[in-house]
Amino acid sequence: MEKTTDIRDDDEHMAAFPINRGYLKRKKIYNGIAALFAVIAFIIGSFPVFHIIYEAIAVGHQYLNWNFVSTLPTGFPIGAKGGMLNAIIGDVYLIVISSTLAIPLGIGTGLYLSLFGKKRTNGILRLLNELMLGIPSVVWGIVGFYIFSTNAGPGFHLGFSALAGGLTLGFIMTPIITLLTEQAVNHIPASYVEGALAMGATKWQATEAVIVKAAMGGIFIGILLGVMNIIGQTAPLLFTNYYNTGLPTGITGSGGAVGDMAMLIFIYIHEPSKILHYKAEAASVVLLLFILIIDLGLRLISYLTKRFIL
Amino acid sequence: MPENNTSEKDRDNVIVDVKNLNFYYGSYHLLKNINLYFKKNSVCTLLGPSGCGKSTFLRTLNRMNDYTEGSKLTGEVLINGKNIYDRSVDVVELRRDIGMVFQNPNPFPKSIFDNVAFGLKIHGIKDKDFIVERVEKCLKYSALYDQVKDKLNKPALSLSGGQQQRLCIARAIATNPSILLMDEPTAYLDPISTSVILDLINSFKKYYTVIVASHNIQQAGRISDYSGFFLDGELIEFSEAGSFFTRPKDKRTEDFITSRY
Ligand SMILES: Nc1ncnc2c1ncn2[C@@H]1O[C@H](COP(=O)(O)OP(=O)(O)O)[C@@H](O)[C@H]1O
Ligand SMILES: [Mg+2]
Repeated sequence: MEKTTDIRDDDEHMAAFPINRGYLKRKKIYNGIAALFAVIAFIIGSFPVFHIIYEAIAVGHQYLNWNFVSTLPTGFPIGAKGGMLNAIIGDVYLIVISSTLAIPLGIGTGLYLSLFGKKRTNGILRLLNELMLGIPSVVWGIVGFYIFSTNAGPGFHLGFSALAGGLTLGFIMTPIITLLTEQAVNHIPASYVEGALAMGATKWQATEAVIVKAAMGGIFIGILLGVMNIIGQTAPLLFTNYYNTGLPTGITGSGGAVGDMAMLIFIYIHEPSKILHYKAEAASVVLLLFILIIDLGLRLISYLTKRFIL
Repeated sequence: MPENNTSEKDRDNVIVDVKNLNFYYGSYHLLKNINLYFKKNSVCTLLGPSGCGKSTFLRTLNRMNDYTEGSKLTGEVLINGKNIYDRSVDVVELRRDIGMVFQNPNPFPKSIFDNVAFGLKIHGIKDKDFIVERVEKCLKYSALYDQVKDKLNKPALSLSGGQQQRLCIARAIATNPSILLMDEPTAYLDPISTSVILDLINSFKKYYTVIVASHNIQQAGRISDYSGFFLDGELIEFSEAGSFFTRPKDKRTEDFITSRY
């Protein structure tokens, strides 16, 4: 190698600096300590999850069978016999309804914020979105009640129903999807957009063809978080849907209410019957499995759309 | 006033004519009264140290600065005699006729094929056979076809930097523009890829008017028919490459050309 091309060989150019062996040794130790902390934090953090699963299976295992997920609750008090099909079907209703509202609205708002809006309005919109994220879910329940459920005053007069409950849950989901969409789009290199615009793409063409695809992963995480969040909600449903031990006959008005797994657990735990307590534990295992299936399902959809559609 | 351009008498074949162009980023007056013109089927290089306004100038030619908040432009850019800053001009149409290649290779996160087809699709072309044929032709023009013909459906981002840049060139010419803007297209490439792209540029003047921003004098020397020198947002000199490189009129141009950047 030529001497002048490598500054390490060029004594004139820069003096060699002394090597701090002690520091080099210590930095390995620091690295080890950090790794240990990460492991400990993981154990502490995941302990409750494993404990819940263990506890729920230990207490509820006798009801963990096909019958439990495929039949409606019967007996007295209701649920003492039969299963929880009403709650599983009900959650499907609620997820479909809330997603129908929240996915387009959340993605649309997120895209608007990151690509189209003006600085000032964006600031206000972003603030509103963060406020929405911070609103306690019980407040959403009351808001949902006045807008959708109550038959008094202005509003949609939907009664205690899947539509009222689902739309209220949709309000909770929307700001989560908005936030994650905006973040995902903001992390896309500006050069993608420029490339598309410079070819004569309109802003929408650039968005649809390039941005949405590149941001898809992040947007999907937003949808996933949103769905996960609402599956666990009970407070918003207290005032908008409550709970149906049977299957709904519609999605509005009387007969429009649905069951819900989180509500089932909430209600069963408050009953004096031991059987219902065990069933609540069993239901929480089913709820976890349900979440797992939705998670895997959404990931599969995400993978397939990326692979075959976009 | 700097002595810009070749003499007034050979103004035939002018395709881009820039008149009294000023450009501001907020209150920062960057481009100062630029006057020059580019001729059809020639390669023009715009030289200057970084930060002198080359990119900004290029972007005034296809109105990419429209999106920079707080920017302002005065003066005219006539392309084929029509001021592109006229209200009646449709930027989408404008940009179909002006391809652009950026400093950083920026293929879309799509397949190789879809990258080149993108320009056709966004302009409403649906005929599959036409698209396939055009994509192949553009990849051949940009000397990439042999390397990618068996993996057109692979992600563009799996290509090397030099290949990505050639893909961006293929993408830019797919709509058959008459002008090609290139902003330091070889800045991040290895010497071999650079050489391939310089050869491409030379071969392109048959079809396009190529305007290249560069801070590399040797590279510019290899491809230029005309050259200009920018310094602090001013066009110091613009002339035929022969005289520009051998007999620069302005001392500052001479200093830039003779110094080793
Ligand atoms: N969006 C912007 N806002 C404000 N100043 C900018 C912006 N883009 C570029 N500039 C400034 O304009 C000057 C010229 O930039 P540029 O046109 O990129 O120069 P070059 O391409 O010759 O390196 C630089 O000083 C740069 O900091
Ligand atoms: Mg530049």
